[in-house]
Amino acid sequence: MTIVISPFVFGLIVLPFLHKIKLRFHKWVGIVPLVLFLTILKYKSSIINGNIVSEAYQWVPSFDVSLSFRLDGLSFIFALIITGIGFLVVIYSKKYMHSESAISRYFSYILLFMSSMLGVVLSNNLISLFVFWELTSISSYLLIGFWFYKEKSRYGAWKALLITAGGGLAMLAGFILMYTVTGSFEISQILSQKELIKSSPFYLTILVLTLIGSFTKSAQFPFHVWLPDAMEAPTPVSAYLHSATMVKAGIYLLARLNPVLGGSSYWFYMVTFTGILTMCYGSIMAIRQRDLKALLAFSTISQLGLITSLLGVSTETAVIGAVFHIINHAAFKGSLFMVTGIIDHEAGTRNLDELGGLGRKMPFTAVVALIGALAMAGIPPLNGFISKELFFEAVLVDGWAGYVLPALAVFGSIFTFIYSMIFVISPFLGTYKPKEKTVHEAPWGLLLSPMILGVTNLALGIYPKLVADIISKGAANILGKYVDAHLSLWHGFNVPLLMSLIVISFGCLLFSRLNYVKHIIEKIQMKKINLNKLYDLFQTGIPKFAGFITEKQMTGFLRDYLVYILSFVFLSVGLTSLFFMELSIPNLNLERIDVYEYVVAAIMVVSSIFLLFTRKRLIAILILGVIGYMVSLFFVLEKAPDLALTQLIVETITLVLFLIAFPHLPEITEENSKRSTKIINAAVSILTGLTVTFLMVYSKAYKIYESVSSYYIDNSLLLGGGKNIVNVILVDFRGFDTMGEITVLGIAAFSVYALIKLRLGGRKYE
Amino acid sequence: MKNNLLVVPVILPLFTAILIFLISNIKFQKLLSFVSTTFCLATALYLTKQVSVKGIQTLSLGDWPAPFGIVIALDLFSGIMLILTMIVSLAALIFSFKTIGSERENYFYYAFFQLQIMGINGALITGDIFNLFVFFEILLIASYILMALGGKPYQLQETTKYMIINMVSSVLFLVGVAVLYSTLGSLNMADLSVKVGKAGDQGILKVIAVIFMIVFGIKGGLFPLYFWLPRSYHAAPSAVAVLFGGLMTKVGIYAILRVYTLIFAPTLSSINNIILIIAGLTMFLGVMGAVAQMDFKLLLSYHIISQVGYMIMGLGLYTPLSITGAIYFLIHNIIVKSCLFLISGIAEKLRDTTDLKKMGGLMATDPSVAYIFLIAGFSLAGAPPFSGFFGKFLLIRAGLEKGSYLIVFVSILVSFFTLYSMTKIFKYAFWGTAPENVKKVQHNHYFGLVLPAACLALLTVFIGLNTEWVYSYVNSAAYQLMNPDLYIQAVLGG
Repeated sequence: MTIVISPFVFGLIVLPFLHKIKLRFHKWVGIVPLVLFLTILKYKSSIINGNIVSEAYQWVPSFDVSLSFRLDGLSFIFALIITGIGFLVVIYSKKYMHSESAISRYFSYILLFMSSMLGVVLSNNLISLFVFWELTSISSYLLIGFWFYKEKSRYGAWKALLITAGGGLAMLAGFILMYTVTGSFEISQILSQKELIKSSPFYLTILVLTLIGSFTKSAQFPFHVWLPDAMEAPTPVSAYLHSATMVKAGIYLLARLNPVLGGSSYWFYMVTFTGILTMCYGSIMAIRQRDLKALLAFSTISQLGLITSLLGVSTETAVIGAVFHIINHAAFKGSLFMVTGIIDHEAGTRNLDELGGLGRKMPFTAVVALIGALAMAGIPPLNGFISKELFFEAVLVDGWAGYVLPALAVFGSIFTFIYSMIFVISPFLGTYKPKEKTVHEAPWGLLLSPMILGVTNLALGIYPKLVADIISKGAANILGKYVDAHLSLWHGFNVPLLMSLIVISFGCLLFSRLNYVKHIIEKIQMKKINLNKLYDLFQTGIPKFAGFITEKQMTGFLRDYLVYILSFVFLSVGLTSLFFMELSIPNLNLERIDVYEYVVAAIMVVSSIFLLFTRKRLIAILILGVIGYMVSLFFVLEKAPDLALTQLIVETITLVLFLIAFPHLPEITEENSKRSTKIINAAVSILTGLTVTFLMVYSKAYKIYESVSSYYIDNSLLLGGGKNIVNVILVDFRGFDTMGEITVLGIAAFSVYALIKLRLGGRKYE
Repeated sequence: MKNNLLVVPVILPLFTAILIFLISNIKFQKLLSFVSTTFCLATALYLTKQVSVKGIQTLSLGDWPAPFGIVIALDLFSGIMLILTMIVSLAALIFSFKTIGSERENYFYYAFFQLQIMGINGALITGDIFNLFVFFEILLIASYILMALGGKPYQLQETTKYMIINMVSSVLFLVGVAVLYSTLGSLNMADLSVKVGKAGDQGILKVIAVIFMIVFGIKGGLFPLYFWLPRSYHAAPSAVAVLFGGLMTKVGIYAILRVYTLIFAPTLSSINNIILIIAGLTMFLGVMGAVAQMDFKLLLSYHIISQVGYMIMGLGLYTPLSITGAIYFLIHNIIVKSCLFLISGIAEKLRDTTDLKKMGGLMATDPSVAYIFLIAGFSLAGAPPFSGFFGKFLLIRAGLEKGSYLIVFVSILVSFFTLYSMTKIFKYAFWGTAPENVKKVQHNHYFGLVLPAACLALLTVFIGLNTEWVYSYVNSAAYQLMNPDLYIQAVLGG
């Protein structure tokens, strides 16, 4: 808990606060990940002994959501990578970003990310994992968009967020489904109920939803499109988030849930083939990049594909290879990104066309680059070679996949070899090209971190036993059984070695014909649909589509709105009546109706119709008056003289007001709408009128209960002290209503005054 | 439990308004509004605490026994709503101090503001369906004038539409009440609940239920009744838009939840699929409207519609979990929506426009506003650990448990587009470079502008992190709604 929270605290509270009081703490930010790294490392012996360190805090116990953490082999490895690379990146950034004025903000984001990422790998609760997962997306969004004045940064940040957070939503649905099956969000409990999930009808849905989450985050084909654009982030961020850690969150999830979701043929085919295709695609695309960072981005996509396919196979060898490659990739890709940053910093460009011959000017950088690239290409004696061998060994599965997978693996690896060579040879060898003449070796502040990583690559290659025991633990957590990893440089003469030899020889051959290869790739690619276009189409198409369906209904004309609303009224009320009511009106007794009443009603109807057709304002007003007075006549006929009086007064006042306002009223203009529109409007109003009339008559005749009004009759004089029941109701029984109505009138009066007096003019914005 | 304090949330704003009408000193008006609103908030908190300890509080006005007189009642749901109303009102009021301008202040702005509060509070606490109508009239007429005050052509044009559509809805409301009274012979909601329960399966009751759905649906901005909403909120002054955007539609939703769980619960089983369809379409079309906009306030207004869909989804599912989710979502949404409208007001103040394309660079010039927006925006999109996450979490879970996969799918899709449109605002208004010669707001003004938004943003973080605590209240509130007997017993007695 403290491990996860402390970067949060430092990033969100301490740093901004110190920044406010002008203390330049950000120079010492590195302390935070270093201390965390050492703290986690302390648990090593206990982890190797098979212990699990766990800690739980209640968050929302009612939803079974808790902040529970668990440090086992798998999360131990990830946590070390996160804090270790984090430390190196912070040191590197201090120099790299030193001229940046918002550096304090930068480190805040970095620490926010570090917390979230640690949260992802340490959470033992699916919901808390999801929470941290989304926080990594958000912090990545902020970091990619760090230079928010650049259009490309904004584009890249937005794209990354939409794709990863969108995938996250699918994943959340998958998690909740898992909960409905198992009744728990605790990962350790779900792991113990794997049979329940595997046999549940939701298994496939859960699997697909979770995979969407994982693949979007880990940039698997076809969701990879965000990663190259994420390279707009400052280079240390790319090194940290977009190669070493965040993109591995999806891999982590696959590894973590492997015991529950893995083992089925669905899992094998979906995960393995997505992975291996991504690997081939990424490595081919990497070759044609001109920008060093773009090359590394596609290389990352490819390497992540490799790990994913290993987890898809999930045999013992495969899993050991996957875990080892997670470590190796973080180390060599981290160092390569930092090298790119150095080149960018010193030579002022990352474009391969403008780079060359830097080796003599910056020998240390060149050596680090060489080590990293060789590791990436899988050349002995580096760590990448060992994990590559394990990869080759793992893809030799039974069945038809046993032919396809190795072929694809070798195919992809050839291109991996080629782009690794491009990375060292193009910038460092050959003739000196940069425009900047005074390029010199990077300062120690920049060199230190990649050098440490380079040494790690070498050390892990020569002496892999260093991490063998911890990798065994990690692999054991993935497989859910005991694993003993034997890692060594030399495996004897076997098929994987042969495959490596094919890769290296074909790689060299094709590298010598590089321009030709690039040409072919570009030709093929031109013809295919570009997946980025799909995203861009989404970006332009969705607002257009949304605009279209919105404008269709939101016309801005009151009459349209009323037509929609009233249609809905008579349709919904009418249909419910049809479905649920008998349409004959019970006890309908027309004989009680007086002849006078027919006359009055007829006058009202005729004047209403006449009102629709008149073009004279004065006549319209007078007709309105007629209708009003007829209503008061009704009150007289129904023996309610006080209501009749009230109605008379209201009508008279209304009439007078209308006449006073008469000079200001607009002329009634001719309707110019289409005939069909007119017919629809007429139909809607008639049908609405009929519906309401029917309803009123029906309810008048159809009484389920007697009214409470007898109480008023009995008690009006007795308790209310008044002989006029209506009055007593108004001022006593229901006086609260009357108070409200008086308020309404008061507001209306003041409103009219304010509206007449205050005219602020035509400015739209304040 | 009888409790005389229940009238305070209605009577206090009324008296405050009357005093403001009488005294023309603006400083005094501000002070009085502030004190009264704060006091009202305190009362709301106190009353709700009492409800949670002692059960539903009621008051028969004039001591006329229910169902003959008017009863006002406060259960946990209305208590929570009351608190939120006062919080948002307070935020909007403080924001008004800095933004509304002396012209409007001279023409009774603060009085109308108080009457608006009175209307909303009354609608929340009343236990009588006709009285509900009356309070709806008060809150509507107050909203007409708040929207139109200033008399700019655009304001008047949009207010007219708003007014006429709401008049139609009022007439329908009256029709509904009339039919209800004529068939069941009562206006007291608890009494109506008893009678509907006894009446059994009657077609006419379903028809009445539909009428009320339409009436409150117009107020709440449901499909296909929301047409008035986006532009009229867009036309209102910022401070008023805060109040409307945060609260007004939610009063409609409150009324739907109240009336449907209390009176029409027996009819729900036959129409809940229709409610879910309405919910889905409201969500989807609302968010599509938002996606299409390039105007800060208009975009937020469309989101009101979309978010309302989630609450109705909770009602449509009608399980204890989904009702809990709906209430939780309502709480979250009132806070976050008000916060976002406040930010749009600040941005409008800073950039002199609400057109996203003409804004930009707020992150560089006003980072604190940017971070507040980021919190509120992500919260609205349902990102953890803010309050929006648990609202969606509960609704999605309720939907999955009930097997209504389609609505769950729609709600997740809409979440995605919410995120899309929130980050769209962020991209255009906050990132990028500031236009030339931007106004600088004086430092002492700045505080008053940002403070209310900051407080609301903190609240959404607080609710997100302390969901368990909030949930304990929301859960009891949902329990009361799912068990109308409690309400009936409190109002009608044993």
